[in-house]
Amino acid sequence: MYLFANATIYVGLALAIYSLLIITLGISTKNQKLINSGKGGVIAILVCASMAMLSLFYLLATSQFQYEYVSDYTSSELPVIYKLTALWAGNSGSLLLWTFFLVLYTVMIAFSRKMRGNPMVPYISAILLGNIVFFFLILGFVAKPFILLDQVPIEGHGLNPMLQNPGMIIHPVTLYLGYVGLAIPFAFAMAALILKNVDDFWIKMTRRWTIIAWLFLSLGNIFGGQWAYVELGWGGYWAWDPVENASFMPWLTATAFLHSVMIQERKNMLKVWNISLIITSYALTLFGTFLVRSGVLTSVHAFANSNLGLYFLIFMGVMVIGALYVLMSRYNLLKRSAGEFNSYISKESSFLINNLLLVGAAFGVFWGTVFPLVSEAVRGTKVTVGMPFFNTVQAPILLSMMFVMAVCPLLAWQRSSLKNLKKNFLIPAILAVAAMALMVILGIQKAWAVIGFGVIVLLLITHFLEFYRGVKARRKMTKEKVYLSLYRLMTKNRRRYGGYIVHIGIAFIAMGIIGSQNYDVQTMKTVNLGESIEVKDYRINYERLDQKKEGINDIVYAEMTVFKNGKRIGNIQPEKVFYGNWDQPSSEVGLITSLKEDLYVVLSDWEDDGKATFIVKVNPMIAWLWIGSFMIVIGSLFAVWNGKYQNITPRYTGVRKEVS
Amino acid sequence: MKNKIYIGLLLIAFIFQASIFQVQAKEFDYKSKEFEAAASQFMCTCGCGQDHFECDPKTCNLTIGFKEDIVEMMNKGWDKDKIREYYVNIYGEEILTAPEKSGFSLVAWVLPFAVLFIAGIAIFFIVRKWVKKKGPEELTSDSESVKDEVEEEILSSMIEEQRKKYL
Repeated sequence: MYLFANATIYVGLALAIYSLLIITLGISTKNQKLINSGKGGVIAILVCASMAMLSLFYLLATSQFQYEYVSDYTSSELPVIYKLTALWAGNSGSLLLWTFFLVLYTVMIAFSRKMRGNPMVPYISAILLGNIVFFFLILGFVAKPFILLDQVPIEGHGLNPMLQNPGMIIHPVTLYLGYVGLAIPFAFAMAALILKNVDDFWIKMTRRWTIIAWLFLSLGNIFGGQWAYVELGWGGYWAWDPVENASFMPWLTATAFLHSVMIQERKNMLKVWNISLIITSYALTLFGTFLVRSGVLTSVHAFANSNLGLYFLIFMGVMVIGALYVLMSRYNLLKRSAGEFNSYISKESSFLINNLLLVGAAFGVFWGTVFPLVSEAVRGTKVTVGMPFFNTVQAPILLSMMFVMAVCPLLAWQRSSLKNLKKNFLIPAILAVAAMALMVILGIQKAWAVIGFGVIVLLLITHFLEFYRGVKARRKMTKEKVYLSLYRLMTKNRRRYGGYIVHIGIAFIAMGIIGSQNYDVQTMKTVNLGESIEVKDYRINYERLDQKKEGINDIVYAEMTVFKNGKRIGNIQPEKVFYGNWDQPSSEVGLITSLKEDLYVVLSDWEDDGKATFIVKVNPMIAWLWIGSFMIVIGSLFAVWNGKYQNITPRYTGVRKEVS
Repeated sequence: MKNKIYIGLLLIAFIFQASIFQVQAKEFDYKSKEFEAAASQFMCTCGCGQDHFECDPKTCNLTIGFKEDIVEMMNKGWDKDKIREYYVNIYGEEILTAPEKSGFSLVAWVLPFAVLFIAGIAIFFIVRKWVKKKGPEELTSDSESVKDEVEEEILSSMIEEQRKKYL
């Protein structure tokens, strides 16, 4: 097994080097046979990567503790599902997963039906193979997943209990799919530049891949937030930890790209900018990995400190310098088609502001993340840049972003006249201001909350109007029923309406953030058995404290009955889990969720006589975070779905070569 | 006798006062907004990556003493800024969860907005250049035709659909 498992890595590396060289040779000698051989090599690499994954899964599932990785991250009593998911609990396993996804994507591109006969394929494959070679080198020589120990331990160290949660099964997978996915637009962009293709074929193909990568990145962050909320007992979902920031930055720049690419499609402008955004997004995924694996910054997510981060930094440097060189060498070609604007106020201008704010937000996050290093270099003081900084800097930028999002759909392409503006904005603006006034009357008096909710109301109205006007215009011509008309309107313009659904999802998430950040209530109370805690409209009766055993873990739990306005609404059971193979206990929170607010109870401490201390929080509007997240998924899938009307592969009009 | 009564009363008062003080100290709400404002300024150094407001005393001994010290200072009437000043003097800026808004650390706060501002101005000039490039003649002709963009787009998509169906 040892030989087989290691062979999958080294054979994979040899095949990756072979495929890269043979494809490059095929491109330079215009020999299709060599290209085909390289493509065959990619399939063989996929077989190797799959075998490596299966080998590690097998070793983990059967608790083969003679392997360092298995012994480090699992123990025999661990449920099988967590034994398997331990594959991405450590450095080498997670990099193997990353490599597997990268190879999988490469095969999908190299053998894509839509890309058949396309001269860009060899170039894209070669660029992705360059990445694959790097990852196999790391797996083969730096972070080896299949190392045998000198002595076979009787028991493994076990998996960090924090990672034993359904959220943790899926969070890293989706995040890696997003990270790896951003390598695809990068490869497309580089291939297009090398081929001197300035048509919009590649941009249309890339857009789909970017939306998919963006969706996975969003899901990764959402699952991470959801996990933090239920598992850490802290009541929050986003801590602006360096590693969270590392996944948020490419999300912001990819979002900027998805918007600015529309200007390129419509007006053949911003080509240099769009390619810069793709390069930046790709580089930021590598930068994130550098942060997680190097230990230069303190993070709750950090893997064991190693020099692995350094390799990522070097690789990132090489790729970015290479990409900038290619970009500069084609600069004149790209600049030639620089277009023109009809007016200051138009959809195009609003997209520019959107890009300014999104990239500005990404810069703010980047700056805050690296500032401890900057400060240490300049003054020798490594300051901490935590939540208060990011909340203060990001809140106005992201709120402005929401405003642009609210306004943009009603602005016309080309130019918006004053009459047009008045017609489109008067009613939404009046309603939004009225809603803000109502909020103040109802007692919401914090300025940020009122402005934030006002902008969200504006956004919801403008988006509703978009749907309403579209349906109205359709019905005028087709006389269809409302629902049929809405269905056809949306399915015939999937990207536009999918995008609007995503916007509404973002608005719901913003509602959840503003509500929970500004109006959360929490208290810490010590009570005797039979006593109750009162918070807001809730009364929580503390009825029982007991202990149970689950496997090697001891669990102390409290039974509580919850009443709201005197009416019983349910039972909760907050727990403290003490692990047999882990020093730190963890909290399982007692949670009652509703659309209005979450009741969140943590068992903090107790005494022998049953007296216990609880942290009780009322977190308003948290449910909207998850509803909004769900809408983001629906909207993104709706936008990329191969519908009846949009299943048209863009026609390739770029440079023709003999090989494809 | 009188003296004995006074001493007795004094003793009772003392015991009573002490018990009140104890109850107050014991029942202090470590999750109150006032405590959050003061304690969330300081980073716990136990490696939990959390501030002293969030750090769980059950798993971190360091935060227990720190929290008690903050409560003591609050009882003395110190506000969060004074408490902050006290700790920064002892431990330096490293203990804070966010950089100070003075000295070199001010750069952390200002730079993102400065960059946004400069980039915003740059975008304004670029848009102005592009608008000028278009020329005023076309602008006036454009402004005359204010069409409903949504209708136009739907119409064109329907034409496109028919075209695909029949051509």
